[in-house]
Amino acid sequence: MKKQFLLSCLLLFIGATAFGQSIQFEKYVLSNGLKVILHEDHSAPVVAVTALYHVGSKNEDTARTGFAHFFEHLLFEGSENIKRGEFDKYVTNAGGALNANTSQDRTFYYELLPSNQVELGLWLESERMMHAKIEQIGVNTQREVVKEEKRQRMDNRPYGSFLNEMLKRAFKVHPYRWSPIGSMDHLNAAKLEEFIQFYKTYYVPNNCVLSIAGDFNKAELKEKIAAYFGTIPTGTLAINRPSIKEPALGGEVRDIIYDNVQLPGVFQAYRAPKQGGDEYYAFNVLSTILSGGASSRMNKVLVDKKQEAAAAQSVPFFNEDEGVLITLAIANVGVKIETLEQSMDSVTFQLKNELVGEREFQKVKNQITSDLVASKATMAGIAESLANNEVYFGDANLINTELEKYNKVTREDLLNVAKKYLNKDNRVVLYYLPKQKAVSK
Amino acid sequence: MKKVFNIIICLLPLAALAQKIDRTKAPAPGKAPIIQVGSPVKFTLPNGLKVFVVKNTKLPRVIASLNFNLDGFKEADKAGLADMAGQLVKRGTSTKTKEQIDEAVEYLGGSLSTSSASAVASSLKSNFPALFGLMSEVILHPALSAEELEKVRKQTISGIESNKDDADAIAENVVKKLVYGANHPFGEIMTTKTVNAIKVEDVKSFVNNYWKPNIASLFFVGDIEPMEAKKLAEKYLGTWQKGNVPAQQFEKSAKPAKTYVAVVDRPSSVQSVVTIATPIQLVKGAPNDIASNVMNNILGGGFSGRLFANLREKHGFTYGAYSSLQSNKYVGIFKAEASVRNEKTDSSIQETLAEINKIRSEKVGEDELSRMKNYLAGGFARSLENPTTIAGFALNIDKYNLPADYYQKYLTNLALVSAAQVQEVATSLLQPSQMHIVVVGDAKQVAKGLEKYGEVKYFDIEGNEVAAPKEVKADASLTVEKLLNNTIQAMGGKEQIEKIKDAQLNGKVSVMGQSIDVVQKIIQPGSAVMLMSMGGMVVSKQAVVDGKYEVSQQGMQAPITDEIKEGLDESTYLVPELMYQQKGYKLNIVGIEKVDGKDAIDVEITSPSGKKSHRFYDKETYLLVKTAKVEKGPQGPITQQQYYKNYQKVEGVSFAKEAVMDLGQFKMNLNFEAIKVNQGIKPDDLK
Repeated sequence: MKKQFLLSCLLLFIGATAFGQSIQFEKYVLSNGLKVILHEDHSAPVVAVTALYHVGSKNEDTARTGFAHFFEHLLFEGSENIKRGEFDKYVTNAGGALNANTSQDRTFYYELLPSNQVELGLWLESERMMHAKIEQIGVNTQREVVKEEKRQRMDNRPYGSFLNEMLKRAFKVHPYRWSPIGSMDHLNAAKLEEFIQFYKTYYVPNNCVLSIAGDFNKAELKEKIAAYFGTIPTGTLAINRPSIKEPALGGEVRDIIYDNVQLPGVFQAYRAPKQGGDEYYAFNVLSTILSGGASSRMNKVLVDKKQEAAAAQSVPFFNEDEGVLITLAIANVGVKIETLEQSMDSVTFQLKNELVGEREFQKVKNQITSDLVASKATMAGIAESLANNEVYFGDANLINTELEKYNKVTREDLLNVAKKYLNKDNRVVLYYLPKQKAVSK
Repeated sequence: MKKVFNIIICLLPLAALAQKIDRTKAPAPGKAPIIQVGSPVKFTLPNGLKVFVVKNTKLPRVIASLNFNLDGFKEADKAGLADMAGQLVKRGTSTKTKEQIDEAVEYLGGSLSTSSASAVASSLKSNFPALFGLMSEVILHPALSAEELEKVRKQTISGIESNKDDADAIAENVVKKLVYGANHPFGEIMTTKTVNAIKVEDVKSFVNNYWKPNIASLFFVGDIEPMEAKKLAEKYLGTWQKGNVPAQQFEKSAKPAKTYVAVVDRPSSVQSVVTIATPIQLVKGAPNDIASNVMNNILGGGFSGRLFANLREKHGFTYGAYSSLQSNKYVGIFKAEASVRNEKTDSSIQETLAEINKIRSEKVGEDELSRMKNYLAGGFARSLENPTTIAGFALNIDKYNLPADYYQKYLTNLALVSAAQVQEVATSLLQPSQMHIVVVGDAKQVAKGLEKYGEVKYFDIEGNEVAAPKEVKADASLTVEKLLNNTIQAMGGKEQIEKIKDAQLNGKVSVMGQSIDVVQKIIQPGSAVMLMSMGGMVVSKQAVVDGKYEVSQQGMQAPITDEIKEGLDESTYLVPELMYQQKGYKLNIVGIEKVDGKDAIDVEITSPSGKKSHRFYDKETYLLVKTAKVEKGPQGPITQQQYYKNYQKVEGVSFAKEAVMDLGQFKMNLNFEAIKVNQGIKPDDLK
């Protein structure tokens, strides 16, 4: 039995590594500090042009939260050479797609284009970096849009406020205590000058990684990159990189949120270390054990066996400075929220008390191997991974070596991480309960 | 063998490479890339199963996808049957439990999912044969057990419950029911009732009748040789028996005779979900198919559609506004949708209709048209990055009987679409006078003014028409005096109330397993105290004893204002209605409001210091059922509401045994366990 098991593990392992494709790329730095990463791939006539700025909500002034995310909107307004409201039109007219997103650590812009339009992507991103238009009219328009975004994503959606509610309780001093959406009052209060200042501080070549993947000729592209970006001056203003150490939570934090929900929900967040270390990889494995697929423990026990949860999930929410492991479950009709929480706890705390079995351990490693391969399916995914890895870890090549990090994780590591972090005094617990129907005013 | 067709993307100009860049305008595109639309290898098994293989070795992965050509299945009072059957298929086979299947699939690092008309599995190449074996097992030998049905049922009902509060989900349900009609399979809505009606026999007969190889197509996409795929298909699905599949017949979905507005009242909404929709006749591959797609994208496709430019960029009504057009061999649908802030509901409908009118009445400019064609051509090119796109193409060709070269010729045909064709499809598909306008939102705030678009009707969240929320006027003959008298009578009468010299109410508020004790002592009139304590520690005190006022929170004294004094004085009356007029309170009957589903008389009360509040009296019993006042909070005004329930008589006087305090974000229930009167409480007992 034992022998056979090891053999099948071995086969799976060989299968995975033998086919693990290596992503070739070139990385260099322009004289103004702009980092460039290029991955050439001719398998489809597409290219992803991406720009990652190392600014997120954690860089914000405590009286001006929401700025980083606001810029993600504002910087589609136009530039000296792009008329207001036309930025996205260039892309869609070329048959491309574009968007951006903001985390607590960084803001990421991308254009996905048919490959003959790669230069358009360079033009747009260089315009955005060189001389974007920061004007009152754009500020006013985008402020309304951001307010609607908040209403749609958080206020009008059941459980939509959970991340905000969670973060402000999990962090007391670190800027991670607010989420990227920030405060509408802060955005209302901000003067145009402040937006201009933010732009000049963070939207500079030395705070950016330009990562491009897809169907292009590298030598030609490098010349064009130099032409479009080379003349943009290096930023000189001081970048706020908070080095605040968040103290331990110091005891369980519990609260109730009354929301427009029908089913009660339990949301827990365990404080966790920052991303990138050995413990981080162990946490990702733990999270896969908890909710990676139907055979994961939360799904098997909470949803299927006990049928207490309509849905259950664990979300590793890791960042540059600090992280949290979120576990959440939405109760089935008629299930008491306390009962559900007890069951969640028994699943989570089992990780502290028992070594994960060998077959289950191999299963999650196989799942992770599969996921890592899948993450290389698109040029956009590759470009973003390269940029993230470069900014967070100074190692774009992690895209090729990450699997080794996971393979180093042992079952004992999982037990140790669980014992160290998955404790009641290290977590926030929120109950989401339905507002009562009677309210009519 | 695999054939490759080469297509040159449109006729884009060739740009000479400039040595120096000109920043003032967008760079010209480079030479058009050669687009290769691969054609899958295709064969059919003796049991009628069509198999397609799209080889793509970019990643060491394989996906197998089985699709039944099953568009719409009438479920009537068992709505949800096909969905639930689809879920049940992978939850156990004749030899494996659900748990065993899940574990086996995930041990292979793979995934396996099933739905009413499909099964999909994917994994790394190395594990794929084993995974395909598992996939075939669930297709051929599903257990369809009663036990698993109950689990799926429970989850489905939880999903339905949870969607009851989701404005988007409500909109989607109501729109489909109104647009397709309640008797059309596309218009059926799953409810707790229909889900409860589904029996295990229903599930078995659905799977036995419809999951047949002769109406199915199986795709292999990824790093797999066609011969290998063929061997797998034959080995695992060769024994699958073909059979007759019952034919389906549906009524046609008609456009509404006249445009009307369907309002679904959701009082808690801060945004309205507005959908303007109509059924359309549009079949994939029809002559107007590509032009229709161009038209829809000009109107509301993504960031560069007109709806987005108008509702988001120009007006800031919304985070996004889009339209969609779905073709279908029975009946398709057009939708224009946006979530807009309450006060812009009317304007958003107006602007959306204006855009629909405009695309019908004005020919689109050549510039906008060619830009949109480039957009679609580029999107087409980009879609080829995903190897399953080719499989999707083959599926459509097979399902809709399209010409074999439909996708090879797609770009050529797209380039031929004219402005006149765009206008023609807009005119034939979209009739502004025959639209369903569905608004999910706070009717009180948003319904006003919508009559100008057509009759305003009201629907519940399951799409059943209901009466309009009544705006009831208070009885004109009811004076403040009469009302106060009635209330005083209902509370026990002046005489009885004044016989009560003192009262003590002991109650409990429980919050998260923590219990807060509440003690209220009153000496009528003039003295009262309310103490809240946790574990014996007083956390809050409000008192007036012989003209001395005190308000404290956790030992901290709060400053005493005139307003606070007034409130405390009022709290020394069991029935303050007795003193309102003597003490100079102004009362004004405002109207009728629903409180807990019952009509209540809304009275605005202005205290001598000018503080306004509202008290609501049940229209039948005249008992106080709710109070409401606005207080200043740290983040702006907060509406405080209290509900009073479960009145019981003590010594002939009515007391509410239950109060619910609602502070918007926070709500707590206070239950009085003991109410004692005339025990001879002294002012000193209140200190």
